[in-house]
Amino acid sequence: MTSETNQEFNFYEDELIDEKIAAQQTAIEKEIANEQKLVGDLIELNTLLNEYLAEDTVYRSKITELSERFRYMRKTRGDGNCFFRAFAFRYFETLMGKPDEINKLKDLVNKFTSDLSQLGYNSFTVDDFKDVFIEELEKLNNTSDIRLLEEIFNNSGSSDYIVVFLRLIVSCYLQNNSDFYLAFLETYQSMKDFCSHEVEPMYRESDHIHIIALTNALEIPVGIIYLDRADQEKATPHNFPDDSNPNIFILYRPGHYDIIYRN
Amino acid sequence: MSFNTRSPAVKRLLKEAQELSQSSELFYAQPLEDNLFEWHFTIRGPPDSDFDGGIYHGRILLPAEYPMKPPSIILLTPSGRFKVNEKICLSISGHHPETWLPSWSIRTALLALIGFMPTLGEGALGSLDYTTDERKALAKKSVSYTCSVCKTQNSEILPELTEKSNEQCAEARELASQIQFKNSKSTEEPKRQSASESEPSGLVRRNITDSDGQSINFANNVNRNENLSHQRTETVRVESTIRQSSRQSLDKILLIILFALSGLFLFLLLRRAYLIVDKEPFSI
Repeated sequence: MTSETNQEFNFYEDELIDEKIAAQQTAIEKEIANEQKLVGDLIELNTLLNEYLAEDTVYRSKITELSERFRYMRKTRGDGNCFFRAFAFRYFETLMGKPDEINKLKDLVNKFTSDLSQLGYNSFTVDDFKDVFIEELEKLNNTSDIRLLEEIFNNSGSSDYIVVFLRLIVSCYLQNNSDFYLAFLETYQSMKDFCSHEVEPMYRESDHIHIIALTNALEIPVGIIYLDRADQEKATPHNFPDDSNPNIFILYRPGHYDIIYRN
Repeated sequence: MSFNTRSPAVKRLLKEAQELSQSSELFYAQPLEDNLFEWHFTIRGPPDSDFDGGIYHGRILLPAEYPMKPPSIILLTPSGRFKVNEKICLSISGHHPETWLPSWSIRTALLALIGFMPTLGEGALGSLDYTTDERKALAKKSVSYTCSVCKTQNSEILPELTEKSNEQCAEARELASQIQFKNSKSTEEPKRQSASESEPSGLVRRNITDSDGQSINFANNVNRNENLSHQRTETVRVESTIRQSSRQSLDKILLIILFALSGLFLFLLLRRAYLIVDKEPFSI
């Protein structure tokens, strides 16, 4: 009898733990949402010094050095979508007032949309995301008003839709190039499996493979600057692809991506 | 109804309502007249299963963040597969709960639900493992269900099943292999229906390990505890009490029972050891 009771008890306990985790997660999400806009205002990069103690010389000297080359930055909300959101904001920013480049991206977007439907994706929902993506993109055709872009990316509706669509592009690209990328997967049997667990769900954090796939899919190089406790004088830059000369730079601190601007 | 049409969730749901406005042979779903974020649906039990001929009605609750966050589903017609009036949540199989893909839709959710019905409940919360006969009896009975909120009659709403739906049935099975349904903790109290409506009467459960069975065991434990301590509180009513009382207090009671039982066990063990060592503790 004891063991039976025990089993039942655990059964409910698991349930309770799930419930507590969910509640805690919601609380954390709320707190983060209150503290940080989806994409923050332009600030000086050396304000990051305030986040580290005076004794933390590794970080502080790296930040000081970095701020000489990258004066400004924008923080993004740490909700697991930060890489995609940071990339999208900065990419859209470079497209502002350039209808030719916007049209090129639109062609690419349509290509991926038809690829997705060939992969068996429900075109009803894919089109929903694509339409918002294109709609927001077209607003940038004849403007260089950064406030418009800030508005698009801080409205969770349009901002999240853009993130979903980029995730779908990455998923599509990985599935269509799985021969090459399959070698990078450790715990997943198939690329489809990996994409539906690690790429397509919102709030799932990005890894190298996401970055490589996105930059290859859109043919837009990105420079990631790694700022960590590694024993080096400078933050480590890494371009994707390796031999590229990117215009878009993203600062990586363990677990998080922010936008930075080269002088 | 007037909506903030700038909200993507609203736009998306209006589109989905449009897409699903024609009833298919397998399912039909539409939003309530006064709330775009609550839908009512009717699904057909999959042919070649215990649910063949059954027609089941339920609610879909959509979060404000839809489609970034998943809808939850509440069944109202007893099926012997899912508990009625309990939120179930869908998530991709074999992983973290709450993994939902924004490219899924209400249609995906309902087809997956149909495909999921013949799978084993295996004691998962919110699941029921009734016998084939019980499920068949419920399937027959389900046709006469009429929803008190949206007035949908199960017998009227879906067109006759024909071969046209074979493909959709296959799609449902395929989706069910990717998506699973889990009971989720409801923040909203489900509308209680009368006992006779929500629970099939006169049916004996075969499998004591199903979730209802567990509720009964809990209730028994509670009763025993009361008898042991000679504290008489109000009668513990099986099932409905358990379901409605908060889990926390139930847990406390269980913890106390556990402690009491293990204490008793320890005492008996020590007493036994004492008896063996001393040979003649209490001479008769």
